[in-house]
Amino acid sequence: MKMEDIAALKPSEPLLVAPEVFQQLGSITRLLHDTMQQLGVMPKLQVAADGLPDARSRLNYIASKTADAANKVLNSVDQAKADHAAISDATRRIAALIVADPVKAVASGAVMNFVQDVEESTARIDTHLTDIMMAQDFHDLTGQVVAKVVTLANDLEDSLVKLLVQVVPPEHREKVDANVLHGPVVDAAGRTDIVTNQGEVDDLLASLGF
Amino acid sequence: MSNPTDLKFLIVDDFSTMRRIVRGLLKEMGCNNADEAEDGAVALNMLKASKYDFVVSDINMPNMNGFDLLKAVKAEDSLKHIPVLMVTAEARKEDIVLAAQSGAAGYIVKPFTKATLEEKVQKILQKLAATA
Repeated sequence: MKMEDIAALKPSEPLLVAPEVFQQLGSITRLLHDTMQQLGVMPKLQVAADGLPDARSRLNYIASKTADAANKVLNSVDQAKADHAAISDATRRIAALIVADPVKAVASGAVMNFVQDVEESTARIDTHLTDIMMAQDFHDLTGQVVAKVVTLANDLEDSLVKLLVQVVPPEHREKVDANVLHGPVVDAAGRTDIVTNQGEVDDLLASLGF
Repeated sequence: MSNPTDLKFLIVDDFSTMRRIVRGLLKEMGCNNADEAEDGAVALNMLKASKYDFVVSDINMPNMNGFDLLKAVKAEDSLKHIPVLMVTAEARKEDIVLAAQSGAAGYIVKPFTKATLEEKVQKILQKLAATA
């Protein structure tokens, strides 16, 4: 609230409030301020909040790098598979020619053409495999960024938990669900509410009559 | 309907990479007829507009998630015969139970293998053929 807003709230007639009320309000405000400072909530929360836009851009970076890598790998696989299929077809054709007439197969140049085609195709496949290998660099790059975002998230979580403990009434505390974020389970240790492999999924479905 | 190569698949996932991987695996199984949708809402429109034989769907998606798509498919007389195989990172037992109760034909947790997808698709098709 701005100072001019406070001025606008000023009543036309002076308020008849006992000075003890203002004194009590001042004490409560001071107590709250001191408590927050002692808990270290406000400075940490401020640092964490300041870091959120940075975290957003870091997460965007991770999304972009991983998507690029996945597409690069899938494109290379598509191309390598096409080259592999071409070699298979050419092998079947040359085999048929050799079985039918070995001398003609060699004399006509079909065998040499086949050898040259295989050499060219395998060179292309080797390039695709190298591209796939190189595309994995996202792991190193994003791993470093993930570590920084995790640190920020931990700081934010610590601050918010401290704040929550202070403000949530005791009867509502157990309603706070730490597992509210869905998605892949990153740490299954000690959890009984999840499955850890496809076999457990199948067992659970079987117990339901599937 | 037991031969997957004759079927038209709809792959529903908000990640294009995962749609591409599922499409690639289906192709290796001989299923070349597959379309893609980026969320449940898009998928439902496609299902109403064209004939599909099999749906492979993620759960966590924007606009309409996989559970809502599943329920919508099973609530629609013209669509409820279509098997819906859930392929998801959601590994919570309550999600698996909810999927089963909502009419899912199968449930696969990510990461998965080609063998798992192939086995589930075949199993679902055999079950459908047996009840047809």
